[in-house]
Amino acid sequence: MNRQLQASRRQVEGPLLEVRDLHTHFRTDRGLVRAVDGVSFSMARGASLGIVGESGSGKSVLSRSIMGLLPKRNTERSGSVIFEGQEIIDLSLNERRKIWGREMSMIFQDPMTSLNPVMRIGKQIGEGLRLHLGMSKDDARATALKLLQDVRIPEPEKRLDQFAFELSGGMRQRVMIALAMSCGPTLLFADEPTTALDVTVQAQILEVINEQRRDRNMSVILVTHDLGVVAGHTDEIAVMYGGKLVEKAPTRVLFSNMKMPYTEALLHSIPKIDDPSHTRLNVIPGRPPDLVNPPKGCRFSPRCAFVQDRCREEEPPLMNAEHPEHVYACWYPVGSPVHRERTAQLAAQAVGAS
Amino acid sequence: MTDIDVITSENAPLVPVVATQPRPRKLRRRGRVAKWLAVSWLVFLTISAIGANSFPYINHSCDQFEKSIDCSTASKGSLVKIEMPPVWATWEEPGKDLPNQAASAGLMGTDTNGRDIFARSMLGARNSLLIAGLAITFGLAIGTFLGMIAGYFRGWIDMVIENVTNVMLAFPALLLIIFLVTFFNDPSTSSAAPRPLWPIIVALVLLSIPPLTRLVRANTIAYAQRDFVVAARSLGAKGSRILFREILPNIVPTLLSFALTGLALLIVAEGGLAFLGLSVEVPVPTWGSMIGSGVTPLRQGVWWISLMPALVMFLTVLSINLLGDVLAQRFNRREAIG
Repeated sequence: MNRQLQASRRQVEGPLLEVRDLHTHFRTDRGLVRAVDGVSFSMARGASLGIVGESGSGKSVLSRSIMGLLPKRNTERSGSVIFEGQEIIDLSLNERRKIWGREMSMIFQDPMTSLNPVMRIGKQIGEGLRLHLGMSKDDARATALKLLQDVRIPEPEKRLDQFAFELSGGMRQRVMIALAMSCGPTLLFADEPTTALDVTVQAQILEVINEQRRDRNMSVILVTHDLGVVAGHTDEIAVMYGGKLVEKAPTRVLFSNMKMPYTEALLHSIPKIDDPSHTRLNVIPGRPPDLVNPPKGCRFSPRCAFVQDRCREEEPPLMNAEHPEHVYACWYPVGSPVHRERTAQLAAQAVGAS
Repeated sequence: MTDIDVITSENAPLVPVVATQPRPRKLRRRGRVAKWLAVSWLVFLTISAIGANSFPYINHSCDQFEKSIDCSTASKGSLVKIEMPPVWATWEEPGKDLPNQAASAGLMGTDTNGRDIFARSMLGARNSLLIAGLAITFGLAIGTFLGMIAGYFRGWIDMVIENVTNVMLAFPALLLIIFLVTFFNDPSTSSAAPRPLWPIIVALVLLSIPPLTRLVRANTIAYAQRDFVVAARSLGAKGSRILFREILPNIVPTLLSFALTGLALLIVAEGGLAFLGLSVEVPVPTWGSMIGSGVTPLRQGVWWISLMPALVMFLTVLSINLLGDVLAQRFNRREAIG
């Protein structure tokens, strides 16, 4: 299996990862939760993709179902995930286990809980090395030290024999990065890697991830709810809403020419540093959609400021924008006549209200 | 976590002081004294139990296992009244007309057969501790295994294990034990060969499995969903590796403190069974049977035969529970830091 993968790595010059019409549904007492509902995208080797969305938009589930990490019980997965030219969605647990760590690995949100509290750092990093790469104890320790140096932990030798609770949050997240990179994966998932950290540490962590991506020619999928986080650190951005991809574009294109009102609302909800103090924060009214009974038509329609009758009836497909790699799902995108008219109305209302 | 909280909630100083902590220190010292008393009692008991046959402070001048009156040291010469009060309780003697009770014997007196109660208590510790210790060890091993499997794999195996433990919990424990002990106690051999220990151990193991399984299962479920387990999985660790390297070390602290409580419970349970004559055979001392043998003399004012072994048992159970508390606290504190 591994040999096949390695062979295909040399031969196939296509995308590293191709996801086609991926569905992940959970069976619950309330009904079927459509956490990921028909997502398609592809990703080049060495690229970085940001997946953005609110809580409950399915972004974490998407990354976990690409990896096949979700428990089998009560989960239905369909569609196709092609990794290095090979279909991996129907692999058995044993086959997936060989991919995990070596080909794909994941950094989790909370570094406080994602390290084993009773195992020394060096040993934790060494585990994977010994398991996958068959290293000896000493080699694994030396490699672990090298990895800790790579992620720029101060005093790496000392850290090897420490426990997780002796490290700060930022250091723990660096350890997690070292752990995830230990077996040289080609694709790294970072599931909200900075959410639990101080703002000052966030940038450093993202920089370490980016640096390692360049050094190792890794692809990175960065999952976050913060458009600001992905802005400076990814080549492409995919916006998710209600289990669906609603817009995807190269980062620069997205920020200069966003089409989806949801993306726009998401961007507006970031507070700006040069706003006067006590400026009201812009919020998106309403709640994320119920994934058991998603609204008819466009899933964002109940919360959209620009909603039209058509949005409530027909679900918009992914359409191409001017830029060839820019797709969006909206009947009346930003910049369209309907949108412009409504923007003017809203502005007039705002003036009248104040 | 604890220190600062204790200060703010209990002492409630007007000025928020962080460093001065007179009260917690005192509390801690008192706790420490109790802890060391508990530990020293257990150490003393264990050593005495092991070396009961040779230590000078234990009356081993005659085999305390033996029933025969001739053998008992205290009874030599006076066969009318053999039970003698402990040395520190001779105040009974002057007022009453008990001519034969002029003597006193040992730390805890002697029983109706003139055997030294202190010596027998230490000998009894052997059986009581051995039975309870073995039972909790096996119970722990089996319970942990079953609980981890049920909690980690869930699904049908969880359902089977859960229902089996439910049935075991619902089954009347005493009935099960009486059945086991009498069934495996072949009356034809019992007169010649000594009664085997294992039916009673098996019975106690069966008693301890269900609660341990449930405890471990609940803990395993909690840890199996923790991020570090998912992280280990995402790096390709196998199920067995996750169970034994990631989850087990984390539930050991909880298990240890629970196991000590279980040990104390089993000592009491064994005592109860021995009291009913269901444990090891009568001349061999265990605490329960010693207490049981003192019940009739108790009505005639001979209190020490029952009370002394009961005191030993009480101290032991109390010490073990104290130790369990200390362990639980210690691990809690570490949990709070980590």
